[in-house]
Amino acid sequence: MNKKTPYILIMPIVLLGVLFIYGVANGIIQSFGYIPAFNLRDLSLDYYIKVIKSPTFLDSLKVTLHISLISSILAAVLGTILTAALVYTGHTEGKIIQVIKLAILIPHTIVALFSISILSQNGLLARLLYKLGIISTQGDFPLLLYTKNNIGIILGYLWKEVPFVAYFSLSLMASINKTLGEAAENLGASRLKSFIHITLPLSMPAIAKAFLIILTFSFGAYDLPFLLGATVPKALPVQAHVEYIHPDLRHRPYAMAMNGLILLITWLMAGIYYLISNRKKLKGGSHERA
Amino acid sequence: MELELKNISVTLSKKEILKSINLRVEDGEFISLLGASGCGKSTLLKTIAGIIKQREGSILLGGKALDKVPPHKRRTVIVFQDFRLFPHMTVAENISFPLKMLGLHKDKCRERAVELLKKVKLEGFKDRHVDEISGGQKQRVVLARALAAEPVVLLLDEPFSSLDINLRKDMRELVLDLQKEYKITTILVTHDKEEALTMSDRIAFMHNGEILQYDTPENIFKNPVNTIVADYFAEGTYISGEIKGNRFISRFFNVDINRDDGKYKCLIRPSALKVNKAEDGKFQVVAKIYQGDNYLLKINKINSSLKLESILNEPLDIKEGDKVSIELDKDKLIFIPE
Repeated sequence: MNKKTPYILIMPIVLLGVLFIYGVANGIIQSFGYIPAFNLRDLSLDYYIKVIKSPTFLDSLKVTLHISLISSILAAVLGTILTAALVYTGHTEGKIIQVIKLAILIPHTIVALFSISILSQNGLLARLLYKLGIISTQGDFPLLLYTKNNIGIILGYLWKEVPFVAYFSLSLMASINKTLGEAAENLGASRLKSFIHITLPLSMPAIAKAFLIILTFSFGAYDLPFLLGATVPKALPVQAHVEYIHPDLRHRPYAMAMNGLILLITWLMAGIYYLISNRKKLKGGSHERA
Repeated sequence: MELELKNISVTLSKKEILKSINLRVEDGEFISLLGASGCGKSTLLKTIAGIIKQREGSILLGGKALDKVPPHKRRTVIVFQDFRLFPHMTVAENISFPLKMLGLHKDKCRERAVELLKKVKLEGFKDRHVDEISGGQKQRVVLARALAAEPVVLLLDEPFSSLDINLRKDMRELVLDLQKEYKITTILVTHDKEEALTMSDRIAFMHNGEILQYDTPENIFKNPVNTIVADYFAEGTYISGEIKGNRFISRFFNVDINRDDGKYKCLIRPSALKVNKAEDGKFQVVAKIYQGDNYLLKINKINSSLKLESILNEPLDIKEGDKVSIELDKDKLIFIPE
């Protein structure tokens, strides 16, 4: 192999890394009010302060946390149940995995379209219930989209996140169940007890990592809340997008300050995860296998 | 409790792994399943434990069919080759696990775990984490955990193969002591003939998913039913011949032997051959190989294709190229019907 080959092979990831870091650094600089192109040259924390003090910020933060926490917790629980079902029925490879991958590959915008066509009051579900005589008019179908309960957004996230958690933790859970789960059953544990006492605790590192990924992603993602969310309060990323496309370009630092705050909260989440998993490791309670 | 396997057949991934296995293990007996890798020994063990389902046949424990009993209710406990200790638990928690599953109180579980640790000579290790102990210690913990499950049949799946030779000897002794103390019906899976010969009451020799011979260690060693079994225990040279009127007649030698008439193969193992240095000997030493406790002599018959081997316990004045005469120990010759 040529001495230069490793450097050539690593180039795409280096380029992507540079673009990513440049984007983040540029955004942070802009959040401090430095955008020479718009004649903004004074570095200050004013934009952050104004964003935090604005009456909509707290509501937006609450909405965002509500969406990301509920969807991630539900996805982790349902994803774990799905993984366990796949493992205990022996479907750890083959066609079923392709179906799971397909659900992950579908973009969020398409998921939003699915959600609208299935969950809206004119959607398939409402029509079906009406046809079956369960509801007297389609208008009786509960409002799931564009409402403050954010059910449509959460269901949209679950569409992708449940398979993601399953796919992420499947191989680890399958291998644990094959060896240690088998040993536990041999020692007198029923399948359920073997799952609760052995397979689940040992699969937790993978499930927790999947949870962190979907939590931080859903906290920072804007497409589903934008397409399926209520007009007010808006999720933080949607609010940032609104500021970003504001006709007055001098609003750009507000958008970037919001993004900066999203980044900060995401780091905080990752930090908490790190502290918790590290404390477990120190206690000897967790064995990372993922 | 006595265990009986009746016509057990197992098919995995469309391949027949076990073919009509019949086996009876008496209450408190220690038997070995011996055979080369891939012969189906571990599959048979897992079938007894209910981890693998048999396609045909029945497993009887104490006269009762186990076929519909789920694995966790069989009390046929396996000591796995790869330990399978639960990595998120301490030594005591691992041993307590089966007791917890039996519904014992936490304090009772801990008390019993400490007792069992004493049995396996690991006092003071209860709070250690399983990745803080050595391979030999892990094997002892696995054994204690298996005993905690109060097994009616103990299944040992090559439990010593990952241990070094000295540890292996200690563990064998420990297993035999505990087996005698608890009087548990025990099945050891091994490919180590020495292990099977020294530990077992009986040995079931397996080949290609079948039991070729089930006998006491002495009988299986001295009277193998075919060349596959014979070669597994000790290879040698086969001489074809015929027994007529209690005399074996072959191209190379004749010997009196009390057997039915018929065609036989006579197996001459190195231990059946004594070599003496002789100027007019009809054999020549072609190699003298040092083996630690003894020497292996490879000898060829001059002007013949016959090749034999012998064991020399002392470094006698015999060297490569020397002419020698041979003596056959009639009692150590093995006759296998063709």
